[in-house]
Amino acid sequence: MAKSRGGGGPGSPGSARGLAGTRESLAEAGGDELSSLGSDSEVNGGGGGPEERRVDKFGFIVGSRSAEGPLEEVPLEVLRQRESKWLDMLNNWDKWMAKKHKKIRLRCQKGIPPSLRGRAWQYLSGSKVKLEQNVGKFDELDLLPGEPKWLDVIERDLHRQFPFHEMFVSRGGHGQQDLFRVLKAYTLYRPEEGYCQAQAPIAAVLLMHMPAEQAFWCLVQICEKYLPGYYSEKLEAIQLDGQILFSLLHKVSPVAYKHLSKQKIDPILYMTEWFMCAFSRTLPWSSVLRVWDMFFCEGVKIIFRVGLVLLKHTLGSSDKLKSCQGQYETMERLRALSPKIMQETFLVQEVIELPVTERQIEREHLIQLKKWRETHGELQCKSPPRLHGAKAISEAEPPTRKALEPVPSIIVPPGPAPVPKARKSKEKNREKSSGSPANGPGAEGNGAPGAAPELLHPQVSPHHQSKESLCSRESEDTYL
Amino acid sequence: MAGGEGPVAECREHLFKVLVIGELGVGKTSIIKRYVHQLFSQHYRATIGVDFALKVINWDSKTLVRLQLWDIAGQERFGNMTRVYYKEAVGAFVVFDVTRGSTFEAVSKWKHDLDSKVLLPNGSPIPAVLLANKCDQKKDGSQNPSQMDQFCREGGFVGWFETSAKDNINIDEAARFLVENILANYKTFPNEENDVGKPKLDLDPLKAESKSQCC
Repeated sequence: MAKSRGGGGPGSPGSARGLAGTRESLAEAGGDELSSLGSDSEVNGGGGGPEERRVDKFGFIVGSRSAEGPLEEVPLEVLRQRESKWLDMLNNWDKWMAKKHKKIRLRCQKGIPPSLRGRAWQYLSGSKVKLEQNVGKFDELDLLPGEPKWLDVIERDLHRQFPFHEMFVSRGGHGQQDLFRVLKAYTLYRPEEGYCQAQAPIAAVLLMHMPAEQAFWCLVQICEKYLPGYYSEKLEAIQLDGQILFSLLHKVSPVAYKHLSKQKIDPILYMTEWFMCAFSRTLPWSSVLRVWDMFFCEGVKIIFRVGLVLLKHTLGSSDKLKSCQGQYETMERLRALSPKIMQETFLVQEVIELPVTERQIEREHLIQLKKWRETHGELQCKSPPRLHGAKAISEAEPPTRKALEPVPSIIVPPGPAPVPKARKSKEKNREKSSGSPANGPGAEGNGAPGAAPELLHPQVSPHHQSKESLCSRESEDTYL
Repeated sequence: MAGGEGPVAECREHLFKVLVIGELGVGKTSIIKRYVHQLFSQHYRATIGVDFALKVINWDSKTLVRLQLWDIAGQERFGNMTRVYYKEAVGAFVVFDVTRGSTFEAVSKWKHDLDSKVLLPNGSPIPAVLLANKCDQKKDGSQNPSQMDQFCREGGFVGWFETSAKDNINIDEAARFLVENILANYKTFPNEENDVGKPKLDLDPLKAESKSQCC
């Protein structure tokens, strides 16, 4: 379905047609580039005057994405209130997780304030704890050369992730460099898994919200806890989830289910990119962020629900099916989804209300696993069990109090500070400092960077609860 | 397919599913975009899973061809899903990048994957055309035409083309050549499923043995 979009004809330099940073697809006629993007200058690099290319509030170059309709603007007062509530939660995270998890969930559903989103994702996913347990690990991986076969593939993908986001627009720019580091580190962290192309958009979204080291651990959590097996060699987990999705659709929208069955459209034809990229290449950006907020809190259930809502509202009535006579038309419809059903407020509300539970998903998982074994034999890649969201993760790996301590992003070392290894950018310094909480004085008892995680883990001493100034806390990973 | 643009009487409409396969980054998506939308960009995203595009060709005064182009992810691990992607395809482009020898070496692997997972109703392999893409960046020392002809004969390709999605070289020609071959197969073994419209038309005799071409 060709979308009619404003702008000049194909090829006209200023034309913004079909450049969706998030929603580009083959069938859209206007996939031409902003010709001015050919230059390798950093969009937001040094010396950027006001005449520089404009970006929207998400960092996408203005005009590069299809119109997304009016954005839902949270009134400033509400936003400030939410920020202070989130700061309170983040500063007392273990208590909130233990006693008021529902409240956290509710606040994730309302949307995490943009300034705290990156930090909140790290707390929700447990990646913050993971980082604290593995201080120095990322730096260690970062220094290794990596396996050529993965490097080759990763390098080919660097310029193909959100090319219209200011971070990733320039070849070899900071965003692409960090993306390389994160993806390479993962292949070294899990050599048996290596690199899957669908990890790149995930890592890129994370990098838009946090520095490379943090993004790496967040990626680890997604790959191991939220979506285990999705990116592994055989891609079995995603195919299984396709079957689970389809089976759940039977209950959610019998009409859509019947239609897809009749046309013999295998779920992997439409859900692979949705699920593997957690909708980051499908939805308008404001919706991507809201979905990710809920996903980090509630787990894969959210991904299933989004998929089901999209299917239901695209193929869920005989009226809608009139233009989906053939298999191709149906697939085309599922790829060029109606902006109305992807709109933030609508989508989030539908997702919240859809009664699909973790238990249903798990039950269906067992059924489909059994079927899989009958037709394909045993799974070839054994994955750890899937953890359904923040609470399950924190229960499986209880954080120490220390691990939840906020770490200031910028530390001015008082007195003789440990000299950081040769590091270039400010960004890297920030990682370094947040990766090594022992930098400050009075941090005795902390394991040295690189110490075995099991040594660090149980050491909870009152020292580590010493309060830092609110100011420094707020500065942590706060991406405005 | 009860398409809106109903064919005039006696006009025959075909729907063909054509696969575009090959290693990662060889330019599969670019070839399709060039062919379908007459566009080229440096900014195409890596294909995750599969993508699609449709090209409608007025083949001749009596024949309309709808070409469904299936753009298949190039990374090896997506090969675990190709059985589903290949289903009912009647033709394929296997693409490699002339600037990267390793992508040419992988051509046979892709062809084998194709032949092992999809066949024409009569049991023969689907016609596949080899595309040597990025020929605008061609360096000396790559295969010469006679070597390529031989490679195609031995590998079971119906022909090969040097293409450039960037400079729009040979893309239309390659597609036309593939469609000719598909139509020739169709003529020999009509497949009702791929057929729309009224089943009564004598196709022009096609040169199935049509010489492979290079630029």
